Amino acid sequence: MSENLRPMGFWEKVSKLDRRWIYSAVAITVIIPLIWRIDFPVGITPEAKQLFDAVEALPDGSTVMLTFDYYASALPETEPASRAALHHLFRKNCKVVTMTTIPLGGPTISERVTRDMAKLYDKVYGIDYVNLGYKANYVAVLSGMGSSIEDIYPADNSGTKLADLPIIQNIKNYDDIDFIFVVADNAIVDYWISIVNAQYNTPVGASVTAVSAPKYYPLVTSGQMTGLLGGMKGAAEYEIMVGKEAAAVKGMSVQSLVHFLIILMVIMGNVGYFVSRKKKPQAA
Amino acid sequence: MKRTVPIILAIGSGAILAIVFFLNPDFKLLFGVTSDNIKQEVLKWVTIVSGFTLILGVVSIFRVNMKAFQQKKTDRWYKMVTIVSLLAMAIPGVFPGPATEIGKTLYTYLPDWIGVYGSQNGIIVSWLFDHLDAPMMATMFATLAFYIASAAYRAFRARTLEATLLLAAALIVMFWRVPMGEAVLNAMSPDLPEWINTILMRGVNASVQRGIIIGAALGAASMSLRIILGIERIYLGKT
Repeated sequence: MSENLRPMGFWEKVSKLDRRWIYSAVAITVIIPLIWRIDFPVGITPEAKQLFDAVEALPDGSTVMLTFDYYASALPETEPASRAALHHLFRKNCKVVTMTTIPLGGPTISERVTRDMAKLYDKVYGIDYVNLGYKANYVAVLSGMGSSIEDIYPADNSGTKLADLPIIQNIKNYDDIDFIFVVADNAIVDYWISIVNAQYNTPVGASVTAVSAPKYYPLVTSGQMTGLLGGMKGAAEYEIMVGKEAAAVKGMSVQSLVHFLIILMVIMGNVGYFVSRKKKPQAA
Repeated sequence: MKRTVPIILAIGSGAILAIVFFLNPDFKLLFGVTSDNIKQEVLKWVTIVSGFTLILGVVSIFRVNMKAFQQKKTDRWYKMVTIVSLLAMAIPGVFPGPATEIGKTLYTYLPDWIGVYGSQNGIIVSWLFDHLDAPMMATMFATLAFYIASAAYRAFRARTLEATLLLAAALIVMFWRVPMGEAVLNAMSPDLPEWINTILMRGVNASVQRGIIIGAALGAASMSLRIILGIERIYLGKT
């Protein structure tokens, strides 16, 4: 029987599985835990604990800069971290200065999330928190705020002069900011470390997407970064530590099952590949 | 002239920022002007120039798409959708909000509903972002999950030793990084999750990433130096 007419074995069929089966399996794996919630205990990593402890150690009423450096595509991973951070900061009566280096949606997300959270804690805009909004060229913005925030942001996101806002009266530059909590889906964290932490010594902690988290481990181990939250899991860890379990904790069951499915598929794909390679007759 | 002026500007701006970096911020240079004053002034210029580059980008997108639309290509209606979307987001966004100095004067003469323009909360741009842009971006990103699953199944093969190591590390991290996997690892040994974090993430991963970061930083520094010294001119494009 020629090679082409030889009936396919099980593993050969598996290795040539139609992609529609894979798409269907992913869809089912996502939908099931959304309908029937499956809870797993979420372990706290030392990096997440370090970030939480750093914020917890700030004296009540400290000034914290919270950034919204992410696009809408990363919202499920990043927004829960922003909300958990705001729970923590507002609960400690911290003065919160928000800003973004993302032109598309950054100002909208920061405005919506911060105002939502401020309502829960009866915080007043201009007194307890301010949204600086977006300004072009993040390197110049991050560097310039080291000398004067008002030079770079003469007005807030709504166009109100910064000089008219009581919260800004005591915040001139990074010297007046006790901690910077970066929430980002891109390489902006590098600049927060190399420009702000390295040059102005302001502690920086970050929540980043899962895909970029490994990149920042050397900065955590070197002490340049004060804590790290990686992806939705990191956000879930922070939600648990703050005691406000929300979207990230809920998303953990979906993420768990999809990870397991992909691991299973990679293993099956490899077994199929090796079995069919073994069966393939060697060329004379 | 088209090359000389940009090169002089690049050398001047780069050199000024590089020199003031090494000076005390209060160091007085000429006429009582401190190095920090100069740095701040240059950075303000940078943000202004960056603003203009955004305008340049908008003009470029508009021109390219309008030209394609006028040439009646088969996909011309997609080009029109791009232009309409661009204008729909840009015009309300650049219109001054009521809190701005111009807005305060302007809105005494304009009807109240115009207040939905500008860049503050509850405005047209926010609505467009929340109801159109965010769902579209979420959809695009969510679709990736399907492609990643399919690609991982077909392409992630342990063909070589390097690929096998990568595959093993990826599977371990994927397993450890989710609560369900963590629970399984904990059942095997309570120290296992912490061990993976210490050895794989803070050990092997961190050391490799450190090498990449240092390499990239050295590359960026040498490229900056080439631009400041006028050796590197690719950024000028065809002139």
